[in-house]
Amino acid sequence: MENRVYSANKDEFYPPVPTKGTQRRRTNFIIQLFSFFRLNLKIMLIVVKGHS
Amino acid sequence: MKVVVLGAGISGHTAAAFLKKKLGKKHDVVVVSPSQYYQWVPSNIWVGVGRMTVEQVRFKLEKVYNRWGIDYKQAKVTAIYPEGDSTSEKGFVEIIYTNEVKKGETERVTYDYLVNATGPKLNFEATEGLGPGKNTVSVCSYDHAAHAWEELQKSIELMKQGKKQRFLIGTGHPGATCQGAAFEYALNIAFEIKRRNLSHLAEITWISNEYEVGDFGMGGAFIKRGGYITSTKIFAESVFAENNIKWIKRAGVKKVEPGVAYYETLDGEMHTAEFDFAMLIPAFSGHDIKAYNKSGEDITSVLFAPNKFMKVDADYAPKTFEEWSIKDWPQTYQSPGYENIYAAGIAFAPPHPISKPMKSKNGTAISPAPPRTGMPSGVTGKIIAQNIAEAIISGKMQHKHTASMGRMGAACIVSAGFSMTKGLGATMTVSPIVPDWEKYPDWGRNINSTVGEIGLAGHWIKLFLHYMFLHKAKGYPFWWLLPE
Repeated sequence: MENRVYSANKDEFYPPVPTKGTQRRRTNFIIQLFSFFRLNLKIMLIVVKGHS
Repeated sequence: MKVVVLGAGISGHTAAAFLKKKLGKKHDVVVVSPSQYYQWVPSNIWVGVGRMTVEQVRFKLEKVYNRWGIDYKQAKVTAIYPEGDSTSEKGFVEIIYTNEVKKGETERVTYDYLVNATGPKLNFEATEGLGPGKNTVSVCSYDHAAHAWEELQKSIELMKQGKKQRFLIGTGHPGATCQGAAFEYALNIAFEIKRRNLSHLAEITWISNEYEVGDFGMGGAFIKRGGYITSTKIFAESVFAENNIKWIKRAGVKKVEPGVAYYETLDGEMHTAEFDFAMLIPAFSGHDIKAYNKSGEDITSVLFAPNKFMKVDADYAPKTFEEWSIKDWPQTYQSPGYENIYAAGIAFAPPHPISKPMKSKNGTAISPAPPRTGMPSGVTGKIIAQNIAEAIISGKMQHKHTASMGRMGAACIVSAGFSMTKGLGATMTVSPIVPDWEKYPDWGRNINSTVGEIGLAGHWIKLFLHYMFLHKAKGYPFWWLLPE
Protein backbone atom coordinates (compact mmCIF):
# COMPACT_ATOMS: atom_id res chain seq x y z
CA MET A 1 0.00 0.00 0.00
CA GLU A 2 1.38 3.33 -1.11
CA ASN A 3 0.32 5.22 1.92
CA ARG A 4 1.38 2.66 4.51
CA VAL A 5 2.66 4.40 7.61
CA TYR A 6 5.33 2.50 9.50
CA SER A 7 6.23 5.01 12.18
CA ALA A 8 3.28 4.35 14.50
CA ASN A 9 4.07 0.69 14.92
CA LYS A 10 7.79 0.61 14.30
CA ASP A 11 8.45 -1.07 17.64
CA GLU A 12 5.66 -3.58 17.23
CA PHE A 13 5.61 -6.93 15.53
CA TYR A 14 3.50 -6.89 12.40
CA PRO A 15 -0.01 -8.14 12.95
CA PRO A 16 -1.54 -10.81 10.74
CA VAL A 17 -3.32 -9.47 7.69
CA PRO A 18 -5.91 -11.43 5.73
CA THR A 19 -5.02 -13.26 2.56
CA LYS A 20 -6.99 -12.74 -0.67
CA GLY A 21 -8.79 -16.01 0.06
CA THR A 22 -9.87 -14.81 3.51
CA GLN A 23 -11.06 -11.53 2.05
CA ARG A 24 -13.10 -13.39 -0.58
CA ARG A 25 -14.68 -15.63 2.07
CA ARG A 26 -15.68 -12.57 4.06
CA THR A 27 -18.02 -11.46 1.29
CA ASN A 28 -18.98 -14.87 -0.10
CA PHE A 29 -22.77 -14.91 -0.05
CA ILE A 30 -23.24 -18.59 0.88
CA ILE A 31 -20.61 -18.59 3.64
CA GLN A 32 -21.90 -15.31 5.03
CA LEU A 33 -25.52 -16.41 4.94
CA PHE A 34 -24.57 -19.41 7.07
CA SER A 35 -22.55 -17.12 9.38
CA PHE A 36 -25.51 -14.76 9.68
CA PHE A 37 -27.71 -17.47 11.18
CA ARG A 38 -24.91 -19.03 13.23
CA LEU A 39 -23.86 -15.72 14.81
CA ASN A 40 -27.44 -14.62 15.43
CA LEU A 41 -28.08 -17.86 17.28
CA LYS A 42 -24.93 -17.34 19.33
CA ILE A 43 -25.96 -13.79 20.24
CA MET A 44 -29.46 -14.95 21.16
CA LEU A 45 -28.11 -17.63 23.50
CA ILE A 46 -25.82 -15.13 25.20
CA VAL A 47 -28.74 -12.76 25.84
CA VAL A 48 -31.06 -15.45 27.15
CA LYS A 49 -28.43 -17.03 29.44
CA GLY A 50 -27.26 -13.69 30.76
CA HIS A 51 -30.12 -12.83 33.11
CA SER A 52 -32.80 -14.55 35.09
CA MET B 1 -49.08 3.01 42.23
CA LYS B 2 -46.93 5.30 40.15
CA VAL B 3 -43.56 4.46 38.60
CA VAL B 4 -41.45 7.30 37.24
CA VAL B 5 -38.75 6.50 34.70
CA LEU B 6 -36.08 9.14 34.13
CA GLY B 7 -34.70 8.88 30.61
CA ALA B 8 -35.98 7.31 27.40
CA GLY B 9 -32.86 5.78 25.94
CA ILE B 10 -32.36 2.05 25.42
CA SER B 11 -32.59 1.33 29.14
CA GLY B 12 -35.31 3.76 30.19
CA HIS B 13 -37.51 3.04 27.18
CA THR B 14 -37.20 -0.72 27.74
CA ALA B 15 -38.06 -0.29 31.43
CA ALA B 16 -41.08 1.91 30.67
CA ALA B 17 -42.35 -0.47 27.97
CA PHE B 18 -42.21 -3.56 30.21
CA LEU B 19 -43.60 -1.70 33.22
CA LYS B 20 -46.67 -0.60 31.28
CA LYS B 21 -47.12 -4.00 29.68
CA LYS B 22 -47.06 -5.73 33.07
CA LEU B 23 -48.95 -3.13 35.10
CA GLY B 24 -51.62 -2.21 32.56
CA LYS B 25 -54.10 0.59 33.20
CA LYS B 26 -54.34 0.02 36.96
CA HIS B 27 -51.03 1.74 37.63
CA ASP B 28 -49.31 4.81 36.23
CA VAL B 29 -46.03 4.88 34.37
CA VAL B 30 -44.47 8.29 33.79
CA VAL B 31 -41.45 8.90 31.57
CA VAL B 32 -39.38 12.07 31.93
CA SER B 33 -36.93 12.67 29.10
CA PRO B 34 -35.43 15.95 27.86
CA SER B 35 -35.50 14.86 24.21
CA GLN B 36 -38.67 14.35 22.22
CA TYR B 37 -36.98 11.51 20.32
CA TYR B 38 -35.89 7.95 20.90
CA GLN B 39 -32.66 7.26 19.08
CA TRP B 40 -31.07 3.97 18.16
CA VAL B 41 -27.56 5.02 19.13
CA PRO B 42 -25.59 2.14 17.48
CA SER B 43 -26.67 3.35 14.02
CA ASN B 44 -25.38 6.88 14.58
CA ILE B 45 -22.12 5.62 13.08
CA TRP B 46 -23.88 5.29 9.72
CA VAL B 47 -25.32 8.81 10.05
CA GLY B 48 -21.74 9.98 10.59
CA VAL B 49 -20.68 8.61 7.20
CA GLY B 50 -23.82 9.61 5.34
CA ARG B 51 -25.20 6.10 4.91
CA MET B 52 -28.30 6.74 7.03
CA THR B 53 -30.33 9.86 7.67
CA VAL B 54 -31.17 11.20 11.10
CA GLU B 55 -34.81 10.24 10.53
CA GLN B 56 -33.81 6.61 10.07
CA VAL B 57 -32.30 6.36 13.55
CA ARG B 58 -34.88 8.24 15.60
CA PHE B 59 -38.62 8.58 16.16
CA LYS B 60 -40.88 10.73 18.30
CA LEU B 61 -41.63 9.28 21.72
CA GLU B 62 -44.97 10.99 22.29
CA LYS B 63 -46.88 8.97 19.70
CA VAL B 64 -45.66 5.63 21.10
CA TYR B 65 -46.29 6.64 24.71
CA ASN B 66 -49.78 7.90 23.88
CA ARG B 67 -50.56 4.52 22.34
CA TRP B 68 -49.17 2.66 25.35
CA GLY B 69 -50.88 4.90 27.89
CA ILE B 70 -47.64 6.19 29.37
CA ASP B 71 -47.59 9.73 30.72
CA TYR B 72 -44.70 11.39 28.91
CA LYS B 73 -43.09 14.61 30.08
CA GLN B 74 -40.45 16.19 27.87
CA ALA B 75 -38.36 17.55 30.67
CA LYS B 76 -35.09 17.26 32.50
CA VAL B 77 -34.83 16.13 36.09
CA THR B 78 -32.95 18.49 38.38
CA ALA B 79 -33.43 17.05 41.85
CA ILE B 80 -34.62 13.97 43.69
CA TYR B 81 -36.36 14.13 47.07
CA PRO B 82 -36.50 10.43 48.04
CA GLU B 83 -38.11 11.16 51.42
CA GLY B 84 -40.42 13.90 50.18
CA ASP B 85 -40.34 17.21 52.04
CA SER B 86 -42.40 19.15 54.55
CA THR B 87 -45.31 19.33 52.10
CA SER B 88 -45.16 15.80 50.68
CA GLU B 89 -44.85 12.43 52.39
CA LYS B 90 -44.04 10.77 49.09
CA GLY B 91 -40.74 10.87 47.26
CA PHE B 92 -40.72 13.16 44.26
CA VAL B 93 -38.50 14.53 41.51
CA GLU B 94 -38.25 18.11 40.39
CA ILE B 95 -38.28 18.52 36.64
CA ILE B 96 -37.89 21.42 34.25
CA TYR B 97 -39.66 21.22 30.90
CA THR B 98 -37.64 21.36 27.68
CA ASN B 99 -40.44 21.30 25.10
CA GLU B 100 -41.44 24.46 23.27
CA VAL B 101 -44.84 24.88 24.92
CA LYS B 102 -43.74 24.65 28.56
CA LYS B 103 -40.03 25.40 28.25
CA GLY B 104 -38.55 26.51 31.58
CA GLU B 105 -41.60 25.54 33.65
CA THR B 106 -40.90 23.36 36.67
CA GLU B 107 -42.99 20.62 38.23
CA ARG B 108 -42.85 18.13 41.05
CA VAL B 109 -43.58 14.55 40.06
CA THR B 110 -44.25 12.17 42.92
CA TYR B 111 -43.48 8.48 42.67
CA ASP B 112 -43.82 5.16 44.41
CA TYR B 113 -40.90 3.72 42.46
CA LEU B 114 -38.21 5.64 40.60
CA VAL B 115 -36.03 4.28 37.80
CA ASN B 116 -33.05 6.43 36.94
CA ALA B 117 -32.04 5.70 33.36
CA THR B 118 -30.63 9.08 32.46
CA GLY B 119 -27.62 7.68 30.58
CA PRO B 120 -24.32 9.49 30.33
CA LYS B 121 -23.60 13.17 30.19
CA LEU B 122 -21.20 13.75 27.31
CA ASN B 123 -18.59 15.58 29.30
CA PHE B 124 -16.84 17.54 26.54
CA GLU B 125 -15.94 20.20 29.11
CA ALA B 126 -13.50 17.78 30.73
CA THR B 127 -11.13 18.23 27.77
CA GLU B 128 -10.31 21.76 26.66
CA GLY B 129 -11.28 22.41 23.04
CA LEU B 130 -13.08 19.08 22.57
CA GLY B 131 -16.44 18.60 20.91
CA PRO B 132 -18.85 19.91 18.28
CA GLY B 133 -18.73 23.67 18.08
CA LYS B 134 -15.07 23.51 19.13
CA ASN B 135 -12.34 21.54 17.39
CA THR B 136 -13.61 17.98 17.01
CA VAL B 137 -16.77 16.16 16.02
CA SER B 138 -18.64 13.38 17.79
CA VAL B 139 -20.94 10.50 16.85
CA CYS B 140 -22.44 10.07 20.32
CA SER B 141 -25.87 11.38 19.33
CA TYR B 142 -27.78 11.69 16.05
CA ASP B 143 -27.28 15.46 15.78
CA HIS B 144 -23.56 15.12 16.50
CA ALA B 145 -23.31 12.36 13.90
CA ALA B 146 -25.11 14.50 11.29
CA HIS B 147 -22.63 17.29 11.99
CA ALA B 148 -19.74 14.81 11.73
CA TRP B 149 -20.98 13.80 8.27
CA GLU B 150 -21.09 17.46 7.17
CA GLU B 151 -17.48 17.89 8.27
CA LEU B 152 -16.41 14.59 6.75
CA GLN B 153 -17.86 15.63 3.39
CA LYS B 154 -15.63 18.71 3.45
CA SER B 155 -12.56 16.49 3.91
CA ILE B 156 -13.72 14.18 1.13
CA GLU B 157 -14.18 17.17 -1.19
CA LEU B 158 -10.65 18.34 -0.41
CA MET B 159 -9.30 14.87 -1.16
CA LYS B 160 -11.15 14.90 -4.47
CA GLN B 161 -9.21 18.08 -5.22
CA GLY B 162 -6.00 16.16 -4.53
CA LYS B 163 -5.34 17.44 -1.02
CA LYS B 164 -4.15 15.00 1.62
CA GLN B 165 -6.29 14.75 4.75
CA ARG B 166 -5.33 13.56 8.22
CA PHE B 167 -8.03 11.86 10.27
CA LEU B 168 -7.69 11.41 14.01
CA ILE B 169 -10.24 9.05 15.55
CA GLY B 170 -10.44 7.68 19.09
CA THR B 171 -10.85 8.85 22.66
CA GLY B 172 -10.69 12.49 23.69
CA HIS B 173 -10.03 12.11 27.40
CA PRO B 174 -7.60 10.01 29.48
CA GLY B 175 -10.56 8.26 31.16
CA ALA B 176 -12.95 8.00 28.23
CA THR B 177 -14.83 4.84 27.31
CA CYS B 178 -16.87 3.71 24.29
CA GLN B 179 -13.78 2.81 22.25
CA GLY B 180 -15.99 0.46 20.22
CA ALA B 181 -17.94 3.34 18.66
CA ALA B 182 -14.77 5.19 17.73
CA PHE B 183 -13.29 1.95 16.34
CA GLU B 184 -16.39 1.55 14.16
CA TYR B 185 -16.18 5.10 12.95
CA ALA B 186 -12.50 4.77 12.01
CA LEU B 187 -13.28 1.62 9.98
CA ASN B 188 -16.30 3.21 8.31
CA ILE B 189 -14.27 6.26 7.31
CA ALA B 190 -11.58 3.97 5.85
CA PHE B 191 -14.28 2.06 3.95
CA GLU B 192 -15.94 5.21 2.56
CA ILE B 193 -12.61 6.67 1.49
CA LYS B 194 -11.61 3.40 -0.18
CA ARG B 195 -14.98 3.27 -1.97
CA ARG B 196 -14.19 6.65 -3.48
CA ASN B 197 -10.65 5.55 -4.47
CA LEU B 198 -9.16 8.23 -2.24
CA SER B 199 -7.18 6.05 0.18
CA HIS B 200 -3.86 7.34 -1.15
CA LEU B 201 -4.81 10.80 0.13
CA ALA B 202 -5.93 9.78 3.60
CA GLU B 203 -3.88 9.25 6.72
CA ILE B 204 -6.06 7.73 9.42
CA THR B 205 -4.76 7.53 12.99
CA TRP B 206 -6.38 5.80 15.93
CA ILE B 207 -5.63 7.41 19.29
CA SER B 208 -6.75 5.72 22.47
CA ASN B 209 -6.32 5.53 26.21
CA GLU B 210 -6.25 1.72 25.98
CA TYR B 211 -3.06 0.01 27.19
CA GLU B 212 -3.31 -2.16 24.10
CA VAL B 213 -5.62 -1.66 21.14
CA GLY B 214 -8.57 -4.04 21.33
CA ASP B 215 -8.98 -3.44 25.06
CA PHE B 216 -12.34 -1.71 24.47
CA GLY B 217 -12.61 -0.84 28.15
CA MET B 218 -13.20 -4.46 29.12
CA GLY B 219 -9.58 -5.50 29.54
CA GLY B 220 -9.60 -7.03 26.06
CA ALA B 221 -10.74 -10.58 25.45
CA PHE B 222 -9.52 -13.88 24.11
CA ILE B 223 -11.17 -15.33 21.04
CA LYS B 224 -10.93 -18.50 19.00
CA ARG B 225 -9.71 -17.56 15.57
CA GLY B 226 -8.03 -19.46 12.78
CA GLY B 227 -7.20 -22.47 14.91
CA TYR B 228 -5.70 -20.37 17.71
CA ILE B 229 -6.87 -18.67 20.83
CA THR B 230 -5.75 -15.12 20.35
CA SER B 231 -6.32 -11.77 21.99
CA THR B 232 -8.44 -8.86 20.76
CA LYS B 233 -5.16 -6.91 20.67
CA ILE B 234 -4.04 -9.01 17.69
CA PHE B 235 -7.55 -8.84 16.26
CA ALA B 236 -7.69 -5.02 16.42
CA GLU B 237 -4.12 -4.58 15.17
CA SER B 238 -4.90 -6.85 12.24
CA VAL B 239 -8.00 -4.83 11.36
CA PHE B 240 -6.04 -1.58 11.60
CA ALA B 241 -3.16 -2.88 9.48
CA GLU B 242 -5.58 -4.16 6.85
CA ASN B 243 -7.26 -0.76 6.65
CA ASN B 244 -4.00 1.15 6.70
CA ILE B 245 -4.83 2.82 10.01
CA LYS B 246 -1.90 3.61 12.27
CA TRP B 247 -2.42 3.71 15.99
CA ILE B 248 -1.35 5.58 19.10
CA LYS B 249 -2.15 3.80 22.36
CA ARG B 250 -1.77 4.59 26.10
CA ALA B 251 -2.60 8.20 25.22
CA GLY B 252 -4.73 10.60 27.22
CA VAL B 253 -5.88 13.57 25.17
CA LYS B 254 -5.76 16.63 27.42
CA LYS B 255 -6.38 19.54 25.07
CA VAL B 256 -7.46 20.14 21.50
CA GLU B 257 -6.73 23.23 19.44
CA PRO B 258 -7.71 23.78 15.81
CA GLY B 259 -5.91 21.01 13.91
CA VAL B 260 -3.88 19.67 16.82
CA ALA B 261 -4.52 17.37 19.78
CA TYR B 262 -2.23 17.41 22.81
CA TYR B 263 -1.86 14.14 24.65
CA GLU B 264 0.12 12.54 27.42
CA THR B 265 1.29 8.94 27.22
CA LEU B 266 1.78 6.49 30.06
CA ASP B 267 5.52 7.10 30.01
CA GLY B 268 4.74 10.66 31.11
CA GLU B 269 5.72 12.34 27.85
CA MET B 270 3.64 15.00 26.15
CA HIS B 271 2.96 14.72 22.41
CA THR B 272 0.87 16.30 19.71
CA ALA B 273 -1.15 14.81 16.86
CA GLU B 274 -2.11 17.02 13.93
CA PHE B 275 -5.36 16.49 12.07
CA ASP B 276 -7.72 17.91 9.49
CA PHE B 277 -10.70 15.95 10.84
CA ALA B 278 -11.01 14.56 14.35
CA MET B 279 -13.72 12.49 16.00
CA LEU B 280 -12.82 11.96 19.64
CA ILE B 281 -15.16 10.42 22.21
CA PRO B 282 -15.53 12.55 25.36
CA ALA B 283 -15.44 11.40 28.95
CA PHE B 284 -18.80 10.30 30.34
CA SER B 285 -20.24 11.32 33.66
CA GLY B 286 -23.61 11.17 35.33
CA HIS B 287 -26.00 14.10 35.00
CA ASP B 288 -26.09 16.99 37.43
CA ILE B 289 -28.95 15.74 39.58
CA LYS B 290 -29.09 16.86 43.17
CA ALA B 291 -30.69 14.92 46.01
CA TYR B 292 -32.23 16.25 49.24
CA ASN B 293 -33.62 14.62 52.36
CA LYS B 294 -36.90 15.51 54.03
CA SER B 295 -35.43 18.48 55.84
CA GLY B 296 -33.85 19.83 52.66
CA GLU B 297 -30.26 18.79 53.40
CA ASP B 298 -28.10 17.86 50.43
CA ILE B 299 -27.75 14.06 50.24
CA THR B 300 -26.38 13.93 46.68
CA SER B 301 -23.36 11.97 47.88
CA VAL B 302 -25.66 9.36 49.45
CA LEU B 303 -27.44 8.65 46.16
CA PHE B 304 -24.65 9.33 43.72
CA ALA B 305 -20.97 8.41 43.35
CA PRO B 306 -18.43 11.21 42.76
CA ASN B 307 -18.71 10.62 38.98
CA LYS B 308 -22.44 11.48 39.35
CA PHE B 309 -23.63 7.98 38.46
CA MET B 310 -26.12 6.47 40.89
CA LYS B 311 -24.97 4.09 43.59
CA VAL B 312 -26.67 0.70 43.50
CA ASP B 313 -26.17 -2.75 45.06
CA ALA B 314 -22.50 -2.93 44.04
CA ASP B 315 -19.51 -3.28 46.35
CA TYR B 316 -17.91 0.17 46.21
CA ALA B 317 -15.20 -0.58 48.78
CA PRO B 318 -11.81 0.44 47.35
CA LYS B 319 -9.92 -2.63 46.15
CA THR B 320 -6.76 -3.35 44.23
CA PHE B 321 -6.97 -4.73 40.71
CA GLU B 322 -6.00 -8.18 42.03
CA GLU B 323 -8.90 -8.13 44.51
CA TRP B 324 -11.58 -7.30 41.93
CA SER B 325 -14.30 -9.89 41.60
CA ILE B 326 -17.49 -10.29 39.62
CA LYS B 327 -19.24 -10.25 43.02
CA ASP B 328 -18.49 -6.52 43.18
CA TRP B 329 -20.93 -5.90 40.33
CA PRO B 330 -24.60 -5.13 40.99
CA GLN B 331 -27.41 -7.61 40.33
CA THR B 332 -30.66 -5.81 41.10
CA TYR B 333 -29.60 -2.15 40.57
CA GLN B 334 -31.46 -1.05 43.69
CA SER B 335 -30.21 2.00 45.56
CA PRO B 336 -28.68 0.94 48.90
CA GLY B 337 -30.21 3.97 50.64
CA TYR B 338 -33.73 3.93 49.19
CA GLU B 339 -35.33 0.65 48.26
CA ASN B 340 -37.81 2.20 45.80
CA ILE B 341 -35.06 3.76 43.65
CA TYR B 342 -33.21 1.90 40.91
CA ALA B 343 -30.64 2.86 38.29
CA ALA B 344 -30.49 1.18 34.88
CA GLY B 345 -28.12 1.19 31.93
CA ILE B 346 -25.30 3.71 32.00
CA ALA B 347 -26.85 5.60 34.92
CA PHE B 348 -25.61 3.16 37.59
CA ALA B 349 -22.17 3.67 39.11
CA PRO B 350 -19.85 0.75 38.32
CA PRO B 351 -17.89 -0.49 41.35
CA HIS B 352 -14.60 -0.09 39.48
CA PRO B 353 -13.26 -0.25 35.91
CA ILE B 354 -12.86 -3.53 34.04
CA SER B 355 -9.55 -2.66 32.38
CA LYS B 356 -6.53 -2.52 34.65
CA PRO B 357 -6.11 1.09 35.88
CA MET B 358 -2.91 2.76 34.69
CA LYS B 359 -1.25 6.00 35.71
CA SER B 360 1.43 7.96 33.90
CA LYS B 361 4.63 9.04 35.60
CA ASN B 362 2.93 12.40 36.13
CA GLY B 363 0.05 10.74 37.98
CA THR B 364 -2.48 11.06 35.16
CA ALA B 365 -4.87 8.13 35.10
CA ILE B 366 -4.86 6.91 31.49
CA SER B 367 -7.17 3.93 31.11
CA PRO B 368 -10.70 3.32 29.89
CA ALA B 369 -13.79 3.56 32.06
CA PRO B 370 -16.04 0.47 31.88
CA PRO B 371 -18.35 0.39 28.85
CA ARG B 372 -22.05 -0.45 29.09
CA THR B 373 -23.38 -1.19 25.66
CA GLY B 374 -26.96 -1.45 24.44
CA MET B 375 -27.41 -5.06 25.44
CA PRO B 376 -26.67 -4.72 29.19
CA SER B 377 -28.55 -1.42 29.19
CA GLY B 378 -31.65 -3.11 27.77
CA VAL B 379 -31.32 -6.12 30.06
CA THR B 380 -30.96 -4.03 33.24
CA GLY B 381 -33.94 -1.88 32.20
CA LYS B 382 -36.02 -5.00 31.69
CA ILE B 383 -35.16 -6.81 34.93
CA ILE B 384 -35.77 -3.65 36.97
CA ALA B 385 -39.18 -3.29 35.31
CA GLN B 386 -40.02 -6.95 35.97
CA ASN B 387 -39.02 -6.74 39.64
CA ILE B 388 -40.93 -3.50 40.25
CA ALA B 389 -44.03 -4.70 38.41
CA GLU B 390 -44.07 -7.99 40.34
CA ALA B 391 -43.58 -6.12 43.63
CA ILE B 392 -46.50 -3.81 42.86
CA ILE B 393 -48.76 -6.71 41.87
CA SER B 394 -47.80 -9.03 44.74
CA GLY B 395 -47.15 -6.34 47.35
CA LYS B 396 -43.73 -7.80 48.10
CA MET B 397 -40.34 -7.07 46.55
CA GLN B 398 -38.67 -10.38 45.75
CA HIS B 399 -36.04 -9.46 43.14
CA LYS B 400 -36.65 -12.66 41.21
CA HIS B 401 -34.86 -11.15 38.22
CA THR B 402 -31.17 -10.37 38.37
CA ALA B 403 -28.53 -9.47 35.81
CA SER B 404 -24.90 -8.96 36.75
CA MET B 405 -22.32 -7.79 34.24
CA GLY B 406 -20.19 -10.56 35.73
CA ARG B 407 -22.72 -13.06 34.44
CA MET B 408 -24.37 -11.57 31.37
CA GLY B 409 -22.74 -11.50 28.00
CA ALA B 410 -22.74 -8.81 25.39
CA ALA B 411 -22.59 -8.67 21.65
CA CYS B 412 -21.07 -5.74 19.88
CA ILE B 413 -21.44 -5.61 16.13
CA VAL B 414 -18.74 -3.30 14.87
CA SER B 415 -19.62 -1.96 11.46
CA ALA B 416 -16.63 -1.83 9.15
CA GLY B 417 -18.38 -0.62 6.02
CA PHE B 418 -21.96 -0.17 4.81
CA SER B 419 -22.88 -2.22 1.73
CA MET B 420 -25.26 -5.16 1.27
CA THR B 421 -22.76 -7.01 -0.92
CA LYS B 422 -19.34 -5.63 0.00
CA GLY B 423 -19.93 -4.30 3.51
CA LEU B 424 -18.18 -5.70 6.54
CA GLY B 425 -18.91 -5.99 10.22
CA ALA B 426 -16.91 -7.43 13.07
CA THR B 427 -19.17 -9.53 15.26
CA MET B 428 -17.76 -9.49 18.76
CA THR B 429 -19.34 -11.32 21.63
CA VAL B 430 -18.06 -11.76 25.16
CA SER B 431 -19.53 -13.76 28.00
CA PRO B 432 -19.44 -12.55 30.68
CA ILE B 433 -18.71 -8.86 30.12
CA VAL B 434 -16.63 -8.63 33.29
CA PRO B 435 -14.00 -11.40 33.27
CA ASP B 436 -14.63 -14.11 35.84
CA TRP B 437 -11.18 -15.48 36.60
CA GLU B 438 -12.52 -17.87 39.22
CA LYS B 439 -14.90 -19.63 36.86
CA TYR B 440 -12.74 -19.29 33.75
CA PRO B 441 -9.15 -19.29 35.09
CA ASP B 442 -7.53 -19.62 31.65
CA TRP B 443 -9.21 -16.91 29.61
CA GLY B 444 -11.44 -15.01 32.03
CA ARG B 445 -14.50 -15.70 29.90
CA ASN B 446 -16.31 -18.59 28.29
CA ILE B 447 -14.10 -19.12 25.25
CA ASN B 448 -16.94 -20.82 23.36
CA SER B 449 -19.21 -17.79 23.72
CA THR B 450 -16.54 -15.23 22.94
CA VAL B 451 -16.35 -14.47 19.25
CA GLY B 452 -14.51 -12.04 17.00
CA GLU B 453 -15.34 -12.53 13.38
CA ILE B 454 -15.27 -10.23 10.37
CA GLY B 455 -17.50 -10.59 7.38
CA LEU B 456 -20.47 -9.43 5.39
CA ALA B 457 -22.68 -11.34 7.85
CA GLY B 458 -21.64 -8.83 10.53
CA HIS B 459 -22.98 -5.99 8.43
CA TRP B 460 -26.23 -7.84 7.82
CA ILE B 461 -26.57 -8.55 11.55
CA LYS B 462 -26.03 -4.89 12.46
CA LEU B 463 -28.59 -3.82 9.87
CA PHE B 464 -31.01 -6.53 11.02
CA LEU B 465 -30.61 -5.41 14.64
CA HIS B 466 -31.22 -1.78 13.58
CA TYR B 467 -34.65 -2.66 12.16
CA MET B 468 -35.45 -5.22 14.85
CA PHE B 469 -34.75 -2.88 17.76
CA LEU B 470 -36.60 0.03 16.16
CA HIS B 471 -39.55 -2.33 15.62
CA LYS B 472 -39.36 -3.23 19.29
CA ALA B 473 -38.94 0.35 20.49
CA LYS B 474 -41.91 1.51 18.44
CA GLY B 475 -44.05 -1.16 20.09
CA TYR B 476 -44.98 -2.88 16.86
CA PRO B 477 -46.67 -6.32 17.02
CA PHE B 478 -44.96 -8.88 19.27
CA TRP B 479 -42.30 -6.38 20.33
CA TRP B 480 -42.02 -8.01 23.74
CA LEU B 481 -40.83 -11.28 22.19
CA LEU B 482 -37.70 -9.65 20.85
CA PRO B 483 -34.67 -10.03 23.12
CA GLU B 484 -32.65 -7.16 24.49
